Amino acid sequence: MRLQAAKVRLGYGERVVVDGLDLGIEAGTVTAIIGPNGCGKSTLLRALGRLLKPMGGEVLLDGKRIDRLPTREVAKVLGVLPQAPTAPEGLTVADLVARGRHPHQTWYRQWSSGDEEAVAAALEMTGLADLAERPLDELSGGQRQRAWISMALAQGTDLLLLDEPTTFLDLAHQVEVLELVRHLHRAAGRTVVMVLHDLNLAARYADTLVAMRAGRVAAAGAPREVLTEELMGEVFELDAKVIEDPVAGTPLVVPIRPRPARQEGDRPDQRA
Amino acid sequence: MTALPVRVAGLSFRVRPRGVAVTLAGLAVLVLLMALNMRLGNISMSLGSVVTGVLDPASPDHFVVMELRLPRALAGALVGAALALSGAITQSVARNPLASPEILGVTTGASVAVVAGIVAAGNVYGGVSGLLSTLGVPALALLGGLTGAALVYALAWRRGLDGYRLVLVGIGVAAVFTNVKFWLLTIGDVDDTGRAMVWISGSLNARGWEHVTPVALALAVLVPATLLGARSLDALRFGDDTVTALGVRMNAARALMILAAVLLAAVATAAAGPIAFVALAAPQIALRLARTGRPPLLSSAVVGAVLTAGSDLLARTAFSPVELPVGVVTAVLGAPYLIHLIWRART
Repeated sequence: MRLQAAKVRLGYGERVVVDGLDLGIEAGTVTAIIGPNGCGKSTLLRALGRLLKPMGGEVLLDGKRIDRLPTREVAKVLGVLPQAPTAPEGLTVADLVARGRHPHQTWYRQWSSGDEEAVAAALEMTGLADLAERPLDELSGGQRQRAWISMALAQGTDLLLLDEPTTFLDLAHQVEVLELVRHLHRAAGRTVVMVLHDLNLAARYADTLVAMRAGRVAAAGAPREVLTEELMGEVFELDAKVIEDPVAGTPLVVPIRPRPARQEGDRPDQRA
Repeated sequence: MTALPVRVAGLSFRVRPRGVAVTLAGLAVLVLLMALNMRLGNISMSLGSVVTGVLDPASPDHFVVMELRLPRALAGALVGAALALSGAITQSVARNPLASPEILGVTTGASVAVVAGIVAAGNVYGGVSGLLSTLGVPALALLGGLTGAALVYALAWRRGLDGYRLVLVGIGVAAVFTNVKFWLLTIGDVDDTGRAMVWISGSLNARGWEHVTPVALALAVLVPATLLGARSLDALRFGDDTVTALGVRMNAARALMILAAVLLAAVATAAAGPIAFVALAAPQIALRLARTGRPPLLSSAVVGAVLTAGSDLLARTAFSPVELPVGVVTAVLGAPYLIHLIWRART
């Protein structure tokens, strides 16, 4: 087990979003966390990436409590791409990607040939080598997202957490980013955990789905086991037909109509 | 490429030729200004007499050069460098070009303490001479500056140090301190408030070695320390989640860098009063000259030294024999140049 959440209680201030959740991430898998808005999937990912300290329970990285490991040592094995990350104005792609080497550098070793090679390889793998000297603000949404992934790659970790890497991208760019993720997984055996909104793409590109609702794991397993018509009703309150994706052979959700809205008081577990 | 890799043995760095050029050119201008500062004054002297004045204790110029002009010129350059470095750090951590030691509560805290001291002590202070009068005001300034900073720090800290909250709390505290300062000035004796006004404008008048030494010591320790932390300043420019993802201990890094900025500003203010605008403008001027993403630390310090030394030269000589407080000139000199740089970048 590479990464594990054990009975974690997560929230912001007084508000508890996730309570008593258990989840394990196996080495070499691609896991997609899905669920309706506000179900706590980004909160869970932030806790797995030690960006959010649990109020209770613990997160284990390779069996050790992640909050007791030096954050710099964590950064050498675990890369996190936050949701909608912000970069300083005017930063070039090359500068952004070079920043990914931070955990490997010291004041006397600020730019080793190893750093230079890792950055070049990361730019190459994300197809950004030609755009390296361009300011980030001048790139398209898809290119910018690839640049951020490239930074996480330059960090040289075999464990990658991506929080909604496809948000704000058109369909072609979403597929482009997910193809890149698949390539990272297949070429280098990286373990990937990502939060995704598009169920059909999640089913196609992940080998494990974790469906969350109201801070709990409603179902976890292979896409075929998780994405069922019952689950669509239970988790997303959606009447839907699940057929086979004619291209990938994975489950494909075809929405019919939302379930009739229940009274607020009827939702026993709605906390977020 | 704007940065060249330099690798020797196990060491490796990225060097920006433009940044190095700005620093070296700035140092050359600084030497020139210092030489002019030593030559000009009530008694103008040739460069030759300045040099013999420094080297030969028997020279008739020895006293003027070594006890009056050299410490004053050095104090100006060092105070300017310390203020600018403090500003460069504050602007980087707060991710805000308007952030300066004033925001950190240092300069306004020092002003309140010194004005209160002068007004309260009144004739006693005016009647005291020698050691107490030279050390009393700097000690008050240091105490007031550090207290002001501690107050801002404590109010802005909430499970971490956030740039925006720091700036907002700092502006609030500065406004309160400034009003207390004005209140003290209105209740004080006219002679006392006159003396206080000179100090709060920022003045290098009659600064001796006892003012130079503390600033020099602070710079000797804090310049290398902040240069070691420069890498985390680069990382701190990103969003909070990215900073943590990169393995930076965000709150510790921010707190340490702000502490360095507070110490630099407090020591500089103790020596010369709250010289306006250097901490704000010098880092922004250096950033535009060196074309870097954040204010470069060394170049900022050099630009701050040049700005302050040049301003003091003007303050001493422009309306001779009347001397202006240096703080009046720094803004007059620095603001148009900064506006020019911003204007040029627009087109």
